[in-house]
Amino acid sequence: MRLECNILRIREVQFAAETGVSNQVLYINRQELENLLKEDKRLGGVDIDLVNPGDSCRIIRVADVIEPRCKIGDNGKDFPGALGDQVVAGQGITCVLKGAAVVLCEYIDPRQLVNHLRARIMIDMWGPTAEVSPYAKTHNIVILPYPAEGTRLQEYQLALKIAGLKTAAYLAKAGADLEPDELEVYDLPTTTEAVTNFPDLPKIVYIFQVLSNQFEPLEGDAVLYGDNIGKAVPTILHPNEVLDGALLAPYGSIFIETYSIQNHPIVKELYRNHGKNLCFTGVIITNVPNNVREYERMSNIAANLAKHVIGADGAILTKAGGGAPEVVMARTAQRCEQMGIKTTLALVNMGIDTDITATSSKPNVIFNMPEIDAMVSMGVATKAFKLPPVGRVVGVASPVPEGLHINGETIAPPFEIRGFLSQLGDSRFRAVRY
Amino acid sequence: MHPEKLRVIHYVNQFFGGIGGEDKADVAPEIREGTVGPGRAFQAMLGDRGEVIATAVCGDNYFAEKTEEAAAEIIKLIRSYEPDLLVAGPAFEAGRYGIACGAICKAARDELNIPAVTGMYLGNPGMDLFHKDVYIIRTGNSVRTMNDDVKAIVNLAIKLVDGQKIGKPEEEGYIPLGIILNETTSQTAAERAISMLLHKLRGEPFESEVSLSQYDKLEPAPRIENIAKATIALITDGGLVPKGNPDRIESNGATRFGKYSFVGQQELKAEDYDVNHVGYDPVFVGQDPNRLVPVDVMRELEQEKIIGRLSESFHSTAGVATPVENARKMGKAIAADLKSESISGVILTST
Repeated sequence: MRLECNILRIREVQFAAETGVSNQVLYINRQELENLLKEDKRLGGVDIDLVNPGDSCRIIRVADVIEPRCKIGDNGKDFPGALGDQVVAGQGITCVLKGAAVVLCEYIDPRQLVNHLRARIMIDMWGPTAEVSPYAKTHNIVILPYPAEGTRLQEYQLALKIAGLKTAAYLAKAGADLEPDELEVYDLPTTTEAVTNFPDLPKIVYIFQVLSNQFEPLEGDAVLYGDNIGKAVPTILHPNEVLDGALLAPYGSIFIETYSIQNHPIVKELYRNHGKNLCFTGVIITNVPNNVREYERMSNIAANLAKHVIGADGAILTKAGGGAPEVVMARTAQRCEQMGIKTTLALVNMGIDTDITATSSKPNVIFNMPEIDAMVSMGVATKAFKLPPVGRVVGVASPVPEGLHINGETIAPPFEIRGFLSQLGDSRFRAVRY
Repeated sequence: MHPEKLRVIHYVNQFFGGIGGEDKADVAPEIREGTVGPGRAFQAMLGDRGEVIATAVCGDNYFAEKTEEAAAEIIKLIRSYEPDLLVAGPAFEAGRYGIACGAICKAARDELNIPAVTGMYLGNPGMDLFHKDVYIIRTGNSVRTMNDDVKAIVNLAIKLVDGQKIGKPEEEGYIPLGIILNETTSQTAAERAISMLLHKLRGEPFESEVSLSQYDKLEPAPRIENIAKATIALITDGGLVPKGNPDRIESNGATRFGKYSFVGQQELKAEDYDVNHVGYDPVFVGQDPNRLVPVDVMRELEQEKIIGRLSESFHSTAGVATPVENARKMGKAIAADLKSESISGVILTST
């Protein structure tokens, strides 16, 4: 399967009379985009803002971040199953506006805002967190769609994601006919052929937890080709499908954005090593069931696909969320090890050490399975940030409720900073005990 | 570079202060000029860098019985020396001495605003109380390791005085402060993970960045002899609290629990409760709290005389990213409370 990404570098975003890309500037016809999004009758309106790195600006209630991408010469095939037709993603040519990002903000009833869990998930474009969030370094097209009168919450949440995908595809179309600044090729044959090509290299799979059932998955949420995968059993995907829009961040994800799936650091790193140090033999996606019976089944199926279908020698595993996903990931890895597959786990630490007196500087996980001996820390959500006041806040509907000083100095725990921590391997942090 | 020698105060107990053993453990704080006992080892390690100008001595019982007052008295005694640094102990395995060393270091830091370092053996009760506040060098369990321990204390103390970056616990030899921080790495996590896996596959050495948990091994309580006579209590970590969360239990990383009465009720009523927990979808429990804390079913068992009696209240906290240290404290307090009410068995429900 071969995917070509035509990369257009974007170094600025501006509103203009016509949507287009010129000299690395993305120009956007605000009205045209707004009209496109308002075609969805579930939405009553949409705010569109442009934010550049270094702006004294805070974007709040960030539900997801999406990289502007579209298929070239393949109309109606963007984000298949979610926005586009039900086709297979991961082949052909995709236009990518690198350096730009669609930041999707969720409308929350102002009366519910103060105590709402996701009310403060934010991106500050300057200050201490601008250094540590990748989304403070992108040129952001911030969209805040409002529900139409009478739209139920769940319908709105579904419409929200579609509006984000539409914006991403619409913007990328502006660059579809242009000469790319760079070309990235993702070309990986079938597992059988790859193994024949590199018989001496270890066969590596990536076991990717995409969604956790700790919270009821949103019915109708487009995660895999339009399915919410709440009840899905593990399945094998070609890595190109992951990168090319088959897979989207579930609504309410922790430390996973669609942008990071489109640029999946572990998938890309496996690609880079393919044919040199390892033979990349695919991605197994799983969810996190919310009961023991189902997670034992899930772990067995995933490990068995890796061992007896793919024939993998090694597996990388990541998790989707916090505690329960960590235990489920560990069980899957344990099953792999018991079948003879060597594993490495990469995880954001929970920061809840079981032994305060241990003299090692290594943080703990919350399980104890002796088979698991190789783990990479992707940081920990412990120390809060003190954020300076900002000149402008976007992603919020007025009136702002009293008591929510959203543009002032504020203390933000790490999980409120979109992109600071990532479950997908982009982080240059590791947790260390002192 | 350091024109003046550091003025150092050393703290010891009555035994190391040469006053006497257990029979002298009640002596009140006093101050001696210069070094006493292990102070000579400190002076040797300090060399030209500092001088142990005085030694504070106090009986272990005196300190243990009124820790705060004793620490205040000692601070009063040493203030006029205008010290730059305080070192205490090392206390090795001695529990009361360890508590005194921890407390005097904390007081020196807070009251005199100077660095303070002590040393003790892993498991000394002083460690539990003070490892988050002061640097405690991990020592051997007896004076045999005195020279190495004093060296580690002095090295760390000098770094603190000089404002140097303090290394990791295993590098400096101190007991971890119990905090977890982010450190930046040159490679991304993806690069490190794949590199680690390749090393593992080739049978080459690799080092995990994360450790497995070590859990306490507990003896289960003996079985209930006669369940039909037993009083059964309910506990949950699912975050069920009375409307408005009166005890302000945290919905994440909880430090507290609540005890809530349902005396005289056949079941819990949805309108009386909130779910205060950020780790699961609270909708269903919000609709029927009995599905988390099964008072309704337990009442049936009570009426059918399958159990003797249901207790009159349930204990509740939110089990979300709760440090084990907090959970252990809450568990002990809840168990003591249940014991005082002669509860014979407990059903714990989690989410």
